[in-house]
Amino acid sequence: MNCDEARLQIGGEPGASTPDLEDHLQGCPECARLRLEMRALDDRLRQALAQPPQLLRSRRPSPVMRQWALAASVLLAILAAGALWLLRPSATLAREVVAHVQHEPQSWLATQHIDTPGIAKALRGGGVELGITSDKIMYAQSCWFRGHYVPHLVIDTAHGPATVLVLRHEHVGSRVAFHEHGMSGVIVPAGAGSIAVLERGGGDSGNLDEVAQQMQQDVHWLPESH
Amino acid sequence: MRNPRPESPVSSVSERLPAANAQAPLTQLFESLRPDLLRFAHWLARDRAIAEDIVQESLLRAWRSRDALKDPAATRPWLLTIVRREHARLYERKRLELVPLEEVVDTHAGPRPAEPDGDLFTLRHAIMKLPLDYREPLILQVLGGFSTEEIARELALSTTAVLTRLFRARNKLRVLCGMTAAPDVGDGGDAP
Repeated sequence: MNCDEARLQIGGEPGASTPDLEDHLQGCPECARLRLEMRALDDRLRQALAQPPQLLRSRRPSPVMRQWALAASVLLAILAAGALWLLRPSATLAREVVAHVQHEPQSWLATQHIDTPGIAKALRGGGVELGITSDKIMYAQSCWFRGHYVPHLVIDTAHGPATVLVLRHEHVGSRVAFHEHGMSGVIVPAGAGSIAVLERGGGDSGNLDEVAQQMQQDVHWLPESH
Repeated sequence: MRNPRPESPVSSVSERLPAANAQAPLTQLFESLRPDLLRFAHWLARDRAIAEDIVQESLLRAWRSRDALKDPAATRPWLLTIVRREHARLYERKRLELVPLEEVVDTHAGPRPAEPDGDLFTLRHAIMKLPLDYREPLILQVLGGFSTEEIARELALSTTAVLTRLFRARNKLRVLCGMTAAPDVGDGGDAP
């Protein structure tokens, strides 16, 4: 056995002993010293490995932390979804419709019918014509709403006044009902845009829908150029 | 040449379990070995959370293959082998990101208050710095109690290649611990 073979044996298996190795070590103090050192190293190595490497920080969160992180992610996703739901276009539109009507409280109090020129003025810029008779319209204004002039009407119904906003530039996928700030209403798809109908108080969804249906029939959408 | 059983800090199954427990349900036997497996996986993966995942998956695999275990006395090396393979599988599947050791080791920290021996702290740090090709056979031998031949079979290497890796692993540790490196040996067919 030469020194290379002895070192390989000593470094690979410090505790091992064979006759060949022992013969070599008797005549080679360097290899003998190496074996002593390697055996001492192995003793410490066993002590070192006896404990897990506590000095390490985990690269990943622990399973428990991962579960918490997952739960937090789900919660955030739910919150985000909730925020999107609350701020979805139709909900925001409803809120703005209510806010707009709130700023014109006198509209509910109108007691006189609007004449035809007054109605025409309100419809100007709204891109629509109306098929209903003027004796049902108690209030008519052309209002600036979301970057466009829209007809703002109050119609006399059997259940009291109902506010109608004809929203040519606002689209909803389906009927949206809302109740906010003492007003109830619906926004329904209609023609090129949508129609919002509001009543004060709890509102009668049947009456709201009836007015909305009537308006869907009575409103005639003009081409965009008008 | 068979490596004499080192005085492994991890006690053997027969030492750990009373004779009566040898007949205990397999799940209890597995669970009793979990700390050993976790320590073994931890040294391989160098990450506690990954080690826990490896052990969990290994125990599941072991349970599914429990019919293959004929001799309960061989449970520990059998499970250690499964853990090693699971680590290798994870290592290859995920190509675990290579993070500089300094990023995961608190290199500025000295031995912790609970660490009685600064030399051991240094040695643990040095072991963690070993490349997996050297760390793996060393841990299999010293912590797992596997013989050179068993390691060679497990790693699909020749016994000479295993000895070479073990020699180099220890030689690197000597250097990392401030000792003089012994002259290197031939490749022995090993080029990790």
